[in-house]
Amino acid sequence: MDDELLFEQRLHWWSDRRAELTLGAVVCAVLAGVVAMLVFVVVQGWPSFAHNGLAWFGSGGNVDQQIKDMFSAGASGSRDVYTFHAWPLIWSTLLIVGGAVTLSLVSSLFVAVFVVEFAPDWMKQTLHPVVRLLASVPSVIYGLIGVLVIVPFVGNHLITQAEKASVSHIISLSGYSLIAGVMILTVMISPLMIAIFADGLRSVPRHWLEASLALGINRWRTFWKVGVRAARPAIVAGTVLATARALGEAVMLAMVTGSVGFAPNPFDGAIFLFEPSRPLAATILQQVEGLSSAALKHTLFAIASVLLVSAMLLSLAGWAAKQPLKKYAAA
Amino acid sequence: MQSKRIGLAAVLSAFLLLSPAAASAKTLIGSGSSVAQPYLQSLFAAYHRVRPGISFLYTADGGNAGVKDVQSGRSQFAVNTRPPLPSDAGTTYVKLWLDGLCIYVNSQNKLSNLSIGELAGIFTGVSTSWSQFPGSGLSTTIDAVGRDSTAGTFSFFTAAVLNGQTQGSNVNTQASDGLVANAIKHDPNSIGYAGLARAKDPGLKKVNVNGVACAPAFVKTLKYPLSRFVWMVFPTASPDLDVQKFTDWARTSVQAGEIITKVGAVPAFNKTAHKHKKHKKH
Repeated sequence: MDDELLFEQRLHWWSDRRAELTLGAVVCAVLAGVVAMLVFVVVQGWPSFAHNGLAWFGSGGNVDQQIKDMFSAGASGSRDVYTFHAWPLIWSTLLIVGGAVTLSLVSSLFVAVFVVEFAPDWMKQTLHPVVRLLASVPSVIYGLIGVLVIVPFVGNHLITQAEKASVSHIISLSGYSLIAGVMILTVMISPLMIAIFADGLRSVPRHWLEASLALGINRWRTFWKVGVRAARPAIVAGTVLATARALGEAVMLAMVTGSVGFAPNPFDGAIFLFEPSRPLAATILQQVEGLSSAALKHTLFAIASVLLVSAMLLSLAGWAAKQPLKKYAAA
Repeated sequence: MQSKRIGLAAVLSAFLLLSPAAASAKTLIGSGSSVAQPYLQSLFAAYHRVRPGISFLYTADGGNAGVKDVQSGRSQFAVNTRPPLPSDAGTTYVKLWLDGLCIYVNSQNKLSNLSIGELAGIFTGVSTSWSQFPGSGLSTTIDAVGRDSTAGTFSFFTAAVLNGQTQGSNVNTQASDGLVANAIKHDPNSIGYAGLARAKDPGLKKVNVNGVACAPAFVKTLKYPLSRFVWMVFPTASPDLDVQKFTDWARTSVQAGEIITKVGAVPAFNKTAHKHKKHKKH
């Protein structure tokens, strides 16, 4: 009897240990894969950084001309062909991602607060699956809607002839613009933010809110000052995730931003919103057929490593931002 | 036990039945021009009916990129829309059929003719207003749409129209022929270049170049200035035999000639089904 019990105990102990080891091995494999990918991309992109130094991030020359020269040079070609100054692409990425995340943050926060606290029950139950569904729509569908609906609307109704004529020798304002990209990107990342914010708001302990209400504070102030404050780590997490998604968005932005290596100029006034450009991820997508040209391949990997490192720094920034918030957090 | 035996027998017999078909099935991998893609899809489907064992996998990544794929061994064949250059070393170019690079404007634009010089002026950012072209009936700013540098069409246009100058920054680039056509369709002030196959779209209007229309009759005699051959590209050293057989079928057979005409290009070497056959020298 005792021997049987001991045998069974040992069996269960071993199967627990086995599960632990297997899962640990899987985690290590995933980590190794991520590190290997980062190392591979940075190593492949290194020749481009080595040739240009910090000027890689600066401006100088026409970036489209530089890419064309790299592609024409083919597998051979002198070292000069590696010249690349990515500032127009980086500026375009900053504008489009920054604009979309800011707009999305503000609107998603209010929508999430409404969905969690102030909406009537029937609306809550409808909105919950709708938001989840919207978050899973593939981005190329947004690209199609952009190209068929938003871009013609912006081009034919929002841009005036005077504005077009004023910059006509340099760029074409035809609807393929910054604002089309920002608008569609906002719509694309908002459902993700709403879903995460709503989850964070729902996890605030009810007795904190009830205590606030019991002290006579009105509903709106209670939810804003107690609920949203307590859910701040969730808000930071949602913002970081949405920014990472926006940074990597290539297909949709390639279709609606005009794909010209032009740095939109805020001092142009209203025209600034309608200027075409091309963010980093869209550049990789549009030039990916040029991988057989050595210089272009290294440059594309250099762009990819900038995106990867940005995403990692973003994650780090999110974690750092959450640390002081932990004191008041619900989660 | 018995059910296991029956299951095993079923699997084995299915395998035996399928294997003759599987043994002769072959997929040819190609890439290149997106302009030629509509023609190629129809030709691949028709050739598959002629030789059921052959299927095709074609990626439209642009003519220039396709040639580089052949040079690096990623594709067994490529289709390009410009003549061979010194940088295409290691590949053999064979003429397939003729295509015209048409200049399209929106159907609301009344423009009927442009000279090559005027066209170059538009696409390098020198001429920027439709009021400079009285035939158009518009006085708005010109929205030029083109292709990016990985496209064979871009290289051809740069060489034939722009005379080697760079396409201006006022030209918004699109990733494929179809997207250029779509951009022109939705914008009344736009002008762009795309293949002859897009002429059937009701939202687009062809513009004559140097007084000659972009039509199969003029492309065939090479009178239209932007006529170009569509080329089949394969590696000089050990090309695939099936690729060469397909090339011969596509460029000389009656059936392929009919398909090419139907989709909108111009057969150059195909035999016709007329009574008095003219054998074209090539």
